[in-house]
Amino acid sequence: MTGDIVLAAKFIGAGLSMIGALGAGIGIGLSVQGALNGMARNPDAYGNLLTNMILGIAFSEAIAIYCLVVAFLMLFVL
Amino acid sequence: MEKTRKWRWGVHRWFVLLFIILGIIGVKFFPPVQPHIQVAAEKLSETPLFTIPGIGPIYLVNTFTSMLVSMLVIILIAYAVKRAIGKGDLVPAGIAGAVEMLIEVMYNLTENTTGAKWAKKVFPWFATIMIVVLVANIVKLLPGFETVGLLHHSEKGYAIKELFSGVATVLPQEGAYVVTPFFRAQATDLNFTLSLALISVIMTQVIGLQAQGLGYFSKFFNTRNLFTKPFFGAMDFLVGLLETISEFAKILSFTFRLFGNMFAGVVLLALIGVMLPVFMPSFVMLFEVFIGLIQAFVFGMLTMVFMSMATRGHGGEEHAAEH
Repeated sequence: MTGDIVLAAKFIGAGLSMIGALGAGIGIGLSVQGALNGMARNPDAYGNLLTNMILGIAFSEAIAIYCLVVAFLMLFVL
Repeated sequence: MEKTRKWRWGVHRWFVLLFIILGIIGVKFFPPVQPHIQVAAEKLSETPLFTIPGIGPIYLVNTFTSMLVSMLVIILIAYAVKRAIGKGDLVPAGIAGAVEMLIEVMYNLTENTTGAKWAKKVFPWFATIMIVVLVANIVKLLPGFETVGLLHHSEKGYAIKELFSGVATVLPQEGAYVVTPFFRAQATDLNFTLSLALISVIMTQVIGLQAQGLGYFSKFFNTRNLFTKPFFGAMDFLVGLLETISEFAKILSFTFRLFGNMFAGVVLLALIGVMLPVFMPSFVMLFEVFIGLIQAFVFGMLTMVFMSMATRGHGGEEHAAEH
């Protein structure tokens, strides 16, 4: 019984930790929106904007990856 | 070189159909089994290879063997490029041409970001990290990775069926065996990503020191205005402390970005392979190629950007003089 409760708590905790991906999703969406606006106004800046966009995405994606790592730790290590 | 190749769509689609049918037959006879997933790299040897005093026993793990494979791939590419250069062609073909294109793109990117003066210093780190991570992420998609391995005893394992002497396959019933694969994606080992992150961050400090001398440390311990303007000076000092913390956060974010992406890929591939074993894993593999490319690019690019930020002072005087 206690083992089942611990298992359930593990799964609930892993699910809860992935809520943090919400913020990263919003952040990535905003940065892509900004880059696409820039590309539409100034198509010559396409390459420059693309690399910077990918960099910004990597930064905000890292937050979601932290959540993912915490979820993995709960599921497979603890 | 100028030969045009005809697109053989008519033959290729039958190959695709053949592989789908083969996949269905294979799944019928050898149903997929959900692999045992663990974060730390699995040990291939029961006894430690050697023991380092103070650190502990060192085992032969399966990420190490796949590192040997990716090192072999890099060395072979380097050998091919060396031979092609030795021929003295002005326009190298084949692998050498592809590598030349990659290097040229990376060098131009570095030059645009750091300026011509520091590009020669920064470029080797950027290119090395990017090539190592790229090869490591592409090599893990080879067949045999994470599927072929040794059988180990385990309480929560699966039953096995002997195919022929010494070779067995795992069945989806309860049993006493679990597979320890020979090869596992390199970036799913925290040691690999952590060491790359440490190299990147420490070399950023070294390049900053080379560029600005001891003045580089005024970014971290900013006492420039502390005595003339006490309030804003104290604020600057606190900002400097935050910069120090963010250097350590860089190590963490480098480490967990690569590790998290690659480990998520492994888990996704394993779960999709169990749930939809025939057609879907191909698309996930394609997605993994894309993710591996993006992550290699991001790791190298971030290193390069941090290094170029370290070569420039935050005062802005030299920066204004450049233009």
